[in-house]
Amino acid sequence: MRKRSLGGLLAVPAWVWLLVFFVAPVGLVIWFSFGYKPGIFGTHANDILSLDRYVEALSPTFFATFVNTLWVGVLGTALCFLIGAPVAYWMAFKVRPERRGILIALVLIPFWTNFLIRTIGWQVILAPEGWASQALQSLGLLDGPLDLLYTRTAVLIGVVYNYLPLMILPLFVAFDRVGPAVREASKDLGAGKAGTFLRVTLPLSRPGVVAGVLLVFIPLMGDYITATVLGGAKGNMVGQLVASQFQTAQNWALGSAMAVVLMLVIALTIGAAALVLWLVALPFRTRNRLVLGEEATA
Amino acid sequence: MSATKTETILRQRDGSMIGGGKRTHRSWTDVALNVWGVLVLLFLFAPIIVIVIYSFNTGRLLVSFDGFGLDAFRTILDKPAVQNAVRVSIITALISAVIATTLGTLAGIAMARHPGRWVWWFLGLLLLVSVTPEIVDAVALLPWFVTLGQDWGMPIFNDGIVRLSIGSSLFATAVVSYLVRARLVGQEANLEEASSDLYAVPFTTFRRVTLALAMPAVLAGFLLAFTLSLDNTIVAAFVQVSGTTPWPVYVLSAVRSGLRPEVAAVSTIMLLLTLIALAVVAVVLRRAGDSATDIARTMGGA
Repeated sequence: MRKRSLGGLLAVPAWVWLLVFFVAPVGLVIWFSFGYKPGIFGTHANDILSLDRYVEALSPTFFATFVNTLWVGVLGTALCFLIGAPVAYWMAFKVRPERRGILIALVLIPFWTNFLIRTIGWQVILAPEGWASQALQSLGLLDGPLDLLYTRTAVLIGVVYNYLPLMILPLFVAFDRVGPAVREASKDLGAGKAGTFLRVTLPLSRPGVVAGVLLVFIPLMGDYITATVLGGAKGNMVGQLVASQFQTAQNWALGSAMAVVLMLVIALTIGAAALVLWLVALPFRTRNRLVLGEEATA
Repeated sequence: MSATKTETILRQRDGSMIGGGKRTHRSWTDVALNVWGVLVLLFLFAPIIVIVIYSFNTGRLLVSFDGFGLDAFRTILDKPAVQNAVRVSIITALISAVIATTLGTLAGIAMARHPGRWVWWFLGLLLLVSVTPEIVDAVALLPWFVTLGQDWGMPIFNDGIVRLSIGSSLFATAVVSYLVRARLVGQEANLEEASSDLYAVPFTTFRRVTLALAMPAVLAGFLLAFTLSLDNTIVAAFVQVSGTTPWPVYVLSAVRSGLRPEVAAVSTIMLLLTLIALAVVAVVLRRAGDSATDIARTMGGA
């Protein structure tokens, strides 16, 4: 028994490390957010505490960027799901099992390639003098050079691209877990393809859908690199706003408040989405439980 | 009982349908899914292929392709700033991978073998570390290092390498902890009990049984932590000290001042390194008996 109680101590180094270099600094940021910028040369002061920096962070100048970020975040996540779900489905059910390893590797390689470099790749592709521009012009689909780089659309393409593997992988794992047996049973019982997908496969892979959406939405909202490389002045996101307060404006108090607001916006959006989904699913729940209860564990 | 039987029959039927090669008809949805899958994979590789091709660009600027040649790779040799950036990146990635692997392995073992209410608190902390946007970590660490190094008189935190290694070790520690815990939770503690029944002292049991069982996850975790730290851009951009600029931060500042082909050349070399690391992880996990799905789970962070 003595050994058992001491074993938990193995986690102490990790506790200490994360408390000192994660919890403490984030706590410091929250503390700073209640302070103010004392003068031209100071970065922060906390002798008078107020919520003024939050009011400032949500003033019209910056509010537009928050709205823009939320728009890119929601639309980007939705696009990732619409593009990624069929791919995950294809990998889980339509590809020969021996080819799956290769396909997973093909999704993983872009995922593990340097984020910044991939984004620069898109800068090269979308540039007015780049390939996409020339191809579209020679096909006659475009009159002048492609005018996409440094717009919100370019940022959207970039984030969908950058976070797509984070949607495909958890969805694939979830679809794969469903397995062919339940789906066959559904078909034998007379359900069509769409019916099987919507009423059996998708509900059973809900954990994967939730994981995918969260894995895409959260980092996307805090994205800094994609917007910097592809967005220019028109495609501004909150990440850049926070960064500029720390790096150029030297107003740590305001930057901290913006960072806290960003985290709150992320948490509130997820909470709101969960509530809406729960309410929408409520009428279906009682009906579907009978059908799926036992089968799911088999 | 009957459920498993049906399942087996269905699996076999399914297998023969897929593997048998006699496909009499393919529905339009299957064809559409195939086309879509291939298109999306092409989409995923498009910018990477572009970067590799442009690393052979002989022009002055990356974006405008001039001619085909190895000039960019040769310029790397005459640019100490580029070499220094890559060296800083590799050194800090190694240090932070060692930190993350050590802390993560110990924490993962503790969570799997000595469970209790504390595990939920710890998992909550790890979750918080993984979902906090990198930009928040970055802006939080900068004033923290300044406070520690200048206000509280701990000059070690003014060192660029130290700052960068710590900055990229946080998320990596969470990743390694998840991996090691997941591997050990799947295996029962019988072997450890047998080992102590045979009079092995706790440390020997730990080293020769528990650690050995966790080894594939530890190795995979180390390589993933290394790759993550090598890519760390946002936190690095904030905590870096002039003189120890890591490679991604060098590239980020080049984005603003004009990208040269050697950025693509170094990226191509780094891509090869990443591919080798990934291949090693895949082989290690395969050897340890993981299926393709398990590997996707491990490496996709799911």
